[in-house]
Amino acid sequence: MKTWQRSLLMLFGLLTVFGATAYAQVPDAPTVEFPYTGNRTAVWIVAQLHILFAAFILGAPIFVVISEWLGYRKQDPRYDRLAKEVIKVTVILYSMTALTGGLFIFVLLATYPAFTSWLINHFFLIFAVIYPLLFIAETIVLYMYFYTWESWKGELKARHIALGVLLNIIGTVTLFVIDGPTSFMNTPAKAEGASIVEFIQTATLWDKVFNYSWMPLNLHRLVGNVTFGGFITGLIAAYMFMGAKNDSERAYYDWMGFVGNLIGVGALLFLPFMGYLLAYELCDYDASICPYMMADQLSMFFEMQGAMVGLIFLASNYYIWLSMKRIEGVERVRVSVLAVLVMIALPFVMTYVWTMYPVPDPRSLAVLLPMVLLPVVLGRFIPFTVSSRAAIKVSFLMVIVGNAIWMTPHGFVATGAKLVEELELPSDWSFLALMPAKNSAAITLVFVTVVSYFIYNRAIKQGTIVWGKIDFASQFVLIFLAFSAIWTMGLMGAVRSLLRKYFHTYNLLPDFTAESFTPTLAYSAWWITGITLVFYLVVSFAIILTLRVSESKAHAHEGSPAPAGAK
Amino acid sequence: MNEQPGFIKNIVKKGIVGAIVGGVLFGAAKAFGFPVIFQYMFVAYAMLGTAVFILLDAPALPTLGGMKALVALLAFYLVLSVVYIGGASLWPQYDPEDEKGKIEKLLAAKRKASDLGKAEELIARAKSLSEKADAIMQRLQTLGGPAVTAPAAGGAKAGVSAAASGDLVALGKEQWELQECYNCHKLYGQGGKKRGPEMDNIGNLMKPEEMKEKILYPRTWMAEGFEKEYNKKKMPDKYKDLMEDKDVDALVAYLVTLKNPAVKTPKPIKKQ
Repeated sequence: MKTWQRSLLMLFGLLTVFGATAYAQVPDAPTVEFPYTGNRTAVWIVAQLHILFAAFILGAPIFVVISEWLGYRKQDPRYDRLAKEVIKVTVILYSMTALTGGLFIFVLLATYPAFTSWLINHFFLIFAVIYPLLFIAETIVLYMYFYTWESWKGELKARHIALGVLLNIIGTVTLFVIDGPTSFMNTPAKAEGASIVEFIQTATLWDKVFNYSWMPLNLHRLVGNVTFGGFITGLIAAYMFMGAKNDSERAYYDWMGFVGNLIGVGALLFLPFMGYLLAYELCDYDASICPYMMADQLSMFFEMQGAMVGLIFLASNYYIWLSMKRIEGVERVRVSVLAVLVMIALPFVMTYVWTMYPVPDPRSLAVLLPMVLLPVVLGRFIPFTVSSRAAIKVSFLMVIVGNAIWMTPHGFVATGAKLVEELELPSDWSFLALMPAKNSAAITLVFVTVVSYFIYNRAIKQGTIVWGKIDFASQFVLIFLAFSAIWTMGLMGAVRSLLRKYFHTYNLLPDFTAESFTPTLAYSAWWITGITLVFYLVVSFAIILTLRVSESKAHAHEGSPAPAGAK
Repeated sequence: MNEQPGFIKNIVKKGIVGAIVGGVLFGAAKAFGFPVIFQYMFVAYAMLGTAVFILLDAPALPTLGGMKALVALLAFYLVLSVVYIGGASLWPQYDPEDEKGKIEKLLAAKRKASDLGKAEELIARAKSLSEKADAIMQRLQTLGGPAVTAPAAGGAKAGVSAAASGDLVALGKEQWELQECYNCHKLYGQGGKKRGPEMDNIGNLMKPEEMKEKILYPRTWMAEGFEKEYNKKKMPDKYKDLMEDKDVDALVAYLVTLKNPAVKTPKPIKKQ
């Protein structure tokens, strides 16, 4: 070794020794205590905001690429314009996702340093390598997708669509990867008979990722993101419709709102079942989670969820009702009486069937499937029909009945410990609070909504849509749907996190802070509303910035009133 | 404008129908023995239905633009926010105070074993020593005055809790509450949702060591008639991680006292 090399080595050695000594003498950093909100709520706000932005940037591209493909296949420029306008907003919100993600990590590290290090250490490969790489790949592909929109036209369009598909694959993989640590916090990997604390020391990364709630959470979030993306598209359309300067613009944004809502509602129909699957797995992981959710501390959160789901289904059916009004010739459309009869009978019959043969017993399907297919199979042979207007009114009635069943609690108390006779369902009617009744309520909501869209579809085949002539109230319905969907996401996100009870990671890493209790529903509602409003403010700004300001270019003919066949 | 009288007629007509439906539901709920709160709930659904059906036949909203649209939008957001916060506040609220003491007890042992707990213990000891030193100093100063009693080591709180009394059965009953066993097991006719067997006569059916084995390793025993629950692993396999050995012993001591043959507690079957 040469002299200069030896000197350099000694210098590094000295720096290491004195540096470490100096560092060791640095006093501990002061602890962080967020004023007014407290640490837990501060983390909640930032995390929820991050998830809302992330949900949009993952959900929107799924139907953006579908819309682009439809435009290409049907040679209808409206789809291409829709896709491009939504992706413009997505690009702006992408930076907000990264910003809130970074903020989330900083706040988490400052407020819960021990837990954050513990979690990062368990998933080091994901946090340090896989996730950043996926994020970089997604950034590159997203910007490529956006900036090649105009240049990859005509013959190159298929290549552009393929790029969109690649973007969605990366997005979905990113979601699945980050769901690993998230779901692990709720249902950490365990082995039968072994201590969870001991098992986790030897568990592989895959063991930790592939935990009980990982795949249900993946599916729930995937479907939820598409719903969310659809409703936000509806929101964009509503804003633009309100600010439209001429009939052509109004016609286009009326159409865009309809498409966004259609995709949102289409995905929404699967959401109760995805939520059910997630809850089922959580209860399967630890049966004590079930009463905590449904009968104890969080039971009223689920009542509120029931109310929100009911309102969302009512609003989506009301939008269809208003959409029907702008179809010329709708009064000629008639529906088989069987559809109406099945709608009315469904909640009662299925409550009985599922009580006898609980889910997932296949025998219940032997009743359910023939029943819901009855109007389609036998409808054309039975001459009795009702007007579409009457059929949709019955569907509203059944949404209210279904929602009433969904929301009927076992008792009007926030915890089973305080249940008294004056607040409890009579024993003869206690079945109304059990899962068979709740499942039948969910299937009723889904079925009547499908019937409403089926009627709408028949109406547009027989009549002519006058785009742009929709009742102005429909724009508030679109805004309501987006607001309520975001609010419900916030509520259920809070529920999923609170299910960990007084643990950072359920049964594994306790939360010793004074904030590890279950907050009240009212307190949670304040914050959920606040988070929703902040998110709305940013999204509204992004819409105005990207679409209203750059609107000066004229869009020829895309939204002119069109016959039904041209949609 | 000519739609206005028609809409008012619509409101009146639907309002009357809604009131009749609400009245019928209220009466029927009363007749079927539903508590008052449920009767009101059914009336609320009738009112919701009325509002929905009024809305269905409401005249079209005129197109708004510019500032009017913006004001309408802001007002709409305000209404939504108030309705959602208000709606959530109307439901019965869980009192976090009920849980705080419970969590403190549940995590006490883990907290003590953690770095945080060790640091807290050191601080508490230092504080205790300092208080003792103060007391001695005070005594020296008074020279023959009344003795100053030093506070208990560790600053333990005074209070008549099960732990303080040292009653093992009372401690076990406390564990029954803390671990929320009542959510699955009925006892004295209270709690339980058929997830687990009634426990009133368990003291006559199992030995203490068998009970302990079942709590720590749920697959070792099955209650007769609960095959489905056993196969679905309904009893959580977590108490060996969550409970201290002395807490399990206390719970067992409590369960041993449950000897009421009038209640049909199912027979335990040894499985593994």
